Amino acid sequence: MTAAITVERLLGAEAPAPPLENLTPGVPLDGPVTRAGLSNPGLALAGYTARIARGQLQLFGETEMSYLSTLPADQVRWRLEAVFACGVPAVIVSSGLEVPSPFLDAAEGSGVAVFRSGLATAELHRALGPRLDDLLAPTTSIHGSLADVYGIGLLFTGPSGIGKSECVLGLVRRGHRLVADDLVLVSRRGSDIIVGRAHELQNFHMEIRGIGIIDVASMFGTRATRLRKRIEVVVDLQPWDDARDYDRTGLDREMTDILGVEVPRLAIPLNPGKNPTAISEVIAMNQLLAYRGVDMPTRFNEALRRAMNPLDRPVDDHE
Amino acid sequence: MSERTRRRTVEVVNRLGMHARPSADFVRLASRFAASITVSRGDSRREGPVGKGTSPAGSPMAVNGKSIMGVLMLAAERGSRLTISAEGEDAEGAVEALAGLVRRGFGE
Repeated sequence: MTAAITVERLLGAEAPAPPLENLTPGVPLDGPVTRAGLSNPGLALAGYTARIARGQLQLFGETEMSYLSTLPADQVRWRLEAVFACGVPAVIVSSGLEVPSPFLDAAEGSGVAVFRSGLATAELHRALGPRLDDLLAPTTSIHGSLADVYGIGLLFTGPSGIGKSECVLGLVRRGHRLVADDLVLVSRRGSDIIVGRAHELQNFHMEIRGIGIIDVASMFGTRATRLRKRIEVVVDLQPWDDARDYDRTGLDREMTDILGVEVPRLAIPLNPGKNPTAISEVIAMNQLLAYRGVDMPTRFNEALRRAMNPLDRPVDDHE
Repeated sequence: MSERTRRRTVEVVNRLGMHARPSADFVRLASRFAASITVSRGDSRREGPVGKGTSPAGSPMAVNGKSIMGVLMLAAERGSRLTISAEGEDAEGAVEALAGLVRRGFGE
């Protein structure tokens, strides 16, 4: 799925963009931005337009504008038209540079909006780059609850009524932090990180069966909440099933795929008397230890093998 | 689409839209069915503002029909269209009953 946003949403008057001056107010802002990052057209102005990516914002800095100033007006016009014909959604001119009228004529004729910013090229990259990444990132929504437990993002999944919210409530009471209840909006950062957050309307409310909707921020204070968190472990809460085999050693880790990122997944069977809060804290601590290279089941198993075979050389765990 | 998946799109007709009470009625009814039920806003033709049942990129967001928090986040006002999908043995009965509830305006 290729995400797309309009120029309006990214740079329009309502957008949280750095202050921009719209030099072509007559041009509609409905063009789609489909590529992250901002590109400096550079060589494309000299005629080599093959590398211009459709749907990417073009940034005109000192280099581009001073090069254009060396050209006669008709050349400025047709060279820009050649660039604008490559699916350019909008143009930003940096450093408050002067924009000559042939430039604006070409843009208006091609239906490309031109903005001007007082910021330098590098500052514009910094101001708009992360927002573009965020808006264009692959996203999905997951039925589950997300909490920050000892700094580890645990995503609780499982059937309705299994007790995901109750588990998170127990964690919040123990000083951990709620990110999202029941509906987690997930987006990918780069190729290997997935981040979850709540829908804006949720605002740290959750539903507890039998009580109804509660406001966790009012009840437990701001320290019980977190706006977004990287998802590091999926905790799949399941009704206890005698017929199912659960992991008994932890030697093998099951992984699950979210937006193309592999995340460890643990299936936790629940029956009356199980304390999912305590189990969740242990899962988080286990992950913290894993980050430090401590693998408790393997270490335990190695010690056991050495005790059984004192003369053997170390053997691979998967033999 | 598997043969046990059923889908129906209905318009929200009650004056106040899917606020807490109708949403509670919806999830209560949905929870009586074994089928898994998802609901999304059917008016995905426009890029919706965040906060109107859309994901950050403005794509339609599908929520679990048995989760009140999820259904509330759709913020489905009067005139909006909801697509109800059910998958499982009783999918037909589930979409029939839920679509009927929305169409009757939740008795409001």
